[in-house]
Amino acid sequence: MAARLWRWLREDVWEIRFRRYVALLLAAALVAAGVWGGLRLTREDRSCATGVTRPQGSNDCVGVSTTAYDFKQHRFTAAADAIDRENRRLKPGSYVTVALLLPFTTSAPASLNDTLHELQGAYLAQYQVNHEPTGEYPRVRLALANTGADGAHWQEVVDRLEEMTKGPERLRAVTGIGQSTDNNKKAVRELTHRGIPVVGSSITADDLANGQGGKDPFPGLARVAPTNTDEARALAAFAQVTARKALLVYDKPGDPYTRTLQTSLEKLLPGTLHQPQSFTPPADRTQDGTTANQFRQITQLLCDTPKSTDTVLFAGRHTQLRQFINQLGQRGCTDHRFTVLTGDEGSYLAGDTKLDRKALTRNLSVRYTALAHPDAWKGKTAATGGSTADAATLAELIRRAEQAPVGPIGPTALDDGQLIIAHDALQLAVKGLREATLNGRTAPSLADVVNEWALIKGKQRVNGASGWICLDVHGNPYDKAVPIVELKPSGGTRFVQTAWPERDPPADSCLPSA
Amino acid sequence: MDRRLHGRGPLFDTDPPGLASRLVGLRPYQLRSGPYEHAVDVPFVVFTGGRGLGKSALLGEVRAAYQGHTPIALVDGEEPQFAVAPPERPVAAWSPVAQALTTIAEQLAEPVKGARRIGFPRLASGLLAVAAGGWSDRDMPRMRQEAERILLLNDSRSFLDGFAGRWATKVVAKLVSTMSHTGPVVEGIIEATLESFSEGVSPTHRRLRRAVGWYRDYPNAGGNPKLGLILLSGHFRADGDSRAHAERHLVRALLADLDEAYASVMQRSHRLGRPVVLLDNVHAPAGRAVMEYVLRDRADGIRDQVVFFAALRGRTLPGGGTFPALPNAARRSLTEVTRATGWEPGTSPSSRALLVSLPPLTPDDTLHLMGAACRGLTMPPQLPHATHRLTGGSPLGITLLAASARQNLPRGAGSLGALLTGDVAVHEDHTGRPAYRELLDRLVPGGRLDELTVLAAAHDRASALALAEARLPDDFGAAGVLGLEERLAEEGWPTTAGQFVGDPFLRALLLLRLHHLGTDHAEWQATHRALIDHYGERDGADAARYRLHHELALGTADFAVAHLRDTFPDADVGDWLSALLFIASAPYFHAHDPEGRDVTERDHRTAIALGRTDAAHPVPEGVDAVLHLRVRRLLHAVWQLTDPLVLPDPQVAERLRFELEQLSNLRPGGTALLWRASRDWPAHATAGRPLHVPQDDQDGSR
Repeated sequence: MAARLWRWLREDVWEIRFRRYVALLLAAALVAAGVWGGLRLTREDRSCATGVTRPQGSNDCVGVSTTAYDFKQHRFTAAADAIDRENRRLKPGSYVTVALLLPFTTSAPASLNDTLHELQGAYLAQYQVNHEPTGEYPRVRLALANTGADGAHWQEVVDRLEEMTKGPERLRAVTGIGQSTDNNKKAVRELTHRGIPVVGSSITADDLANGQGGKDPFPGLARVAPTNTDEARALAAFAQVTARKALLVYDKPGDPYTRTLQTSLEKLLPGTLHQPQSFTPPADRTQDGTTANQFRQITQLLCDTPKSTDTVLFAGRHTQLRQFINQLGQRGCTDHRFTVLTGDEGSYLAGDTKLDRKALTRNLSVRYTALAHPDAWKGKTAATGGSTADAATLAELIRRAEQAPVGPIGPTALDDGQLIIAHDALQLAVKGLREATLNGRTAPSLADVVNEWALIKGKQRVNGASGWICLDVHGNPYDKAVPIVELKPSGGTRFVQTAWPERDPPADSCLPSA
Repeated sequence: MDRRLHGRGPLFDTDPPGLASRLVGLRPYQLRSGPYEHAVDVPFVVFTGGRGLGKSALLGEVRAAYQGHTPIALVDGEEPQFAVAPPERPVAAWSPVAQALTTIAEQLAEPVKGARRIGFPRLASGLLAVAAGGWSDRDMPRMRQEAERILLLNDSRSFLDGFAGRWATKVVAKLVSTMSHTGPVVEGIIEATLESFSEGVSPTHRRLRRAVGWYRDYPNAGGNPKLGLILLSGHFRADGDSRAHAERHLVRALLADLDEAYASVMQRSHRLGRPVVLLDNVHAPAGRAVMEYVLRDRADGIRDQVVFFAALRGRTLPGGGTFPALPNAARRSLTEVTRATGWEPGTSPSSRALLVSLPPLTPDDTLHLMGAACRGLTMPPQLPHATHRLTGGSPLGITLLAASARQNLPRGAGSLGALLTGDVAVHEDHTGRPAYRELLDRLVPGGRLDELTVLAAAHDRASALALAEARLPDDFGAAGVLGLEERLAEEGWPTTAGQFVGDPFLRALLLLRLHHLGTDHAEWQATHRALIDHYGERDGADAARYRLHHELALGTADFAVAHLRDTFPDADVGDWLSALLFIASAPYFHAHDPEGRDVTERDHRTAIALGRTDAAHPVPEGVDAVLHLRVRRLLHAVWQLTDPLVLPDPQVAERLRFELEQLSNLRPGGTALLWRASRDWPAHATAGRPLHVPQDDQDGSR
């Protein structure tokens, strides 16, 4: 057999020159293909989609996607497709790019929901600004930036985003950011230091904001959500907390969010009778760990307090809050009424199945400051600081997004406020971008955008669906409406009322006080 | 499969390359190229040899070795299709050469590995012009048939040009339509042909147009292809030298078409080696004319790269003269061209030819051939050598005897006589016939076998004439004898002094046939009697020898014994030995029944030679009984050992040695010669070599 093959090769192929040359060409092509294939096989393909790769040692698909890539999360598919559709519609040169920096590959269900809602909110805002009847330019193209489930790969993403500011994508702002984690903080610091404007949507931590202690560590950062301080102030204005009746439970050592919340809440309790109680959760605060045991002990301590102590201020993340509430539900002194007040982390519990809802029927109510709430601008509302019309515009858009051409964008939920706040964040970003664009130009410079934030106030304010957004010189919202929301025993939340960091809604002029 | 011919290595060898490989540039049986020996001028190789020397088998083997690897054509000049025109074709439009060219082109056109069919547009248009000379509107079907055959030579059968034959059919239809017009047929046909060649834009049609332009250079055409073709057709019809001129142009057209198939770089990258044309029986008119035209063109400097192998019947004689067409051809034996031909073209056309004589097979070849044929059979050890002695190395004889041995050895045949008379089936599906008849049919085709059979017993023209007078019909006569004599010489049979049929093998076969003529061997006996009478009328020692020879052939040994006994004491020992050899060369046939079965059980010569019958043999009175018996034994020993139809008996050979030794004591003057013979003859006889009278050297030493 081998001899026959050899003879065939030798006589029927090699000897006939034409066939020899063809065979040599084919052989060369085969070798080239083999080498190429071999190289490709040996080199692991770490790309997930255009612009998105898996970094060494990680299975997260990290990077900046400008296609319909859904980061392998089916719940994002519809929204990603909608964004891609909208992006493609834009003519080159007519748009600037805004990156939506979110943990798209997170595995925590709560974070996933948040991310989805932020994605939907951002898209709806994109659709809205691109389809305004006034036809203002530049239009907005959305890019999805993922730094990994825990944000560890922020460095690569920041590098890529910076590249995009120089390329035809004309990246001019980054929005989203999500939670106030250390990695996000580093990413925001790096982005702003490279001159890229950032609009934070749901970050509330004080140390992820400018103007704390008179310093601006993040030049070019604007926020839509009030700082923890403002939230605490609004909470205090709402609850009329007195030091004698309240006790602080806080995360130790905490993260930027919990620490600033702790600090803000501590300020509300000068000369408290009760010593603040600390707990230490696992480093990954989405994990339960053994923290429940600590809460059991804290609960016993609470039972020991006089009946007049009816308010617990909680400075921690939502997982720990859930564990705390569940322990309170099992407390021995159910005749002792408690109201737990906490920051916007409480919003996560609205859909948390591990929450023991019966606890809420045992003389216990949980109230928190939401970033936004769909019911905040319904019915009788304050005359200033926001409007029913603005909220209704978004509600109408969401309705339209159930089908083409706006949608579909997947199932929406407004309770957690993430959709609303992400929508407002992009609105704010676009406002800044458009205001900074000189006449006759199609895109602003980065620096002009950075300088623009301080001017978003007064008549230049953004009429967000969550309320007016008037930025102070540090880019923080001034006297932003803070909905106080209560967890319902039957599930979901109940809007209690809108609280204001400045105790009252802003004046019609909406100019921050000096 | 062992297909190779035995003893033809100088032609078919691959390492180092043999003649075929060096000329064709391709190894036989393999698609592997090799270097050319003659890069520019290629010799026109002509294999020569008599009948049965394997020329046709050789050419057939060359074709088998190269078929499918390079274009190759084999035509046999003696085929009937080249002898006369088909009945319905006018002679003016037909010639053996034109027929041969059509056949050659059809074979060369066949696709080979790596390359497509070869088209022959020049030849086709020329043949068409020639054939048109014989067309009329009365015989449309024939015209259609002829035109289609010629046009198919031109059909590349490539899907690019439409499916096979479609183009030819179209052109034929066009030609037919011109026939209905009034006016000269030839011009109309040529015009229509040129027109259809000029149509179309495909590469094939460009090739056709270029090909037609080739006829511009026909003498007196004045650059007009149409005129060239008309002139060609006219010359062909004119017969004589004009036809030769036209035919030469047709041969040139064939070679030009072949050259074009190798012209471009692209074509050469598809093809290996050179095309091969094999012309069997090149002495026949068709082959001879083609050979002459090619040689003349080559001598005129019109080069081609075609390798011609031709086969010519007859033997190359040192002085030439046998081949009037090739007076200046280089002559070599096959073994001489093993490494190189050493051929250089001269100025004359015939110097472009290279005559290569085919030698008979060697005893070793015979051994291999027989061994291969009789694989698995027990073969008498002397059989191969005896076969070689009988056939003289004739490949045909050896092959047939080998086939006969394969078929008849299992049936109990033990001698060559039995193998020759035994039935042999040459092809699996044929019924068997006696081997000697099969051989004679092949060696002496063309009639007069019966006459030759009788004359085979004659020794010279005189005895042949006498025999003819006595035994052959009156209308044969002297002219018939002389005609047969000439035919034997023409066909290349060797002449031998003292034999009318010079070739021992042929003679042995004819005598065998003679013996088997008639049921009671009457023809055999009458023939020998006639010769005895013929020689009886003459005096002299020679006449006596011949008479005794024939007496012995009739089975009467007594006269021979008496003659040898009586002459031994006084005759020259050399002459005596020579007489012994000649008398003992008589054919030995004992009686057998009409079916050819032996009546007597054994060859009685062996018994006599070994002295087993001495006691029963009456010694004539008054003679030396010892010498008488010794001579008798000696005669029978030599008779047995030199009989080509039986295997030499080693015991008899040993006895021969002894008898000669004993005789050497009785003749002091001839001791050395007899002693020498006692040593040489048994050895030669057992080895299957002919016996000769040793040279007389006085000192008795070698």
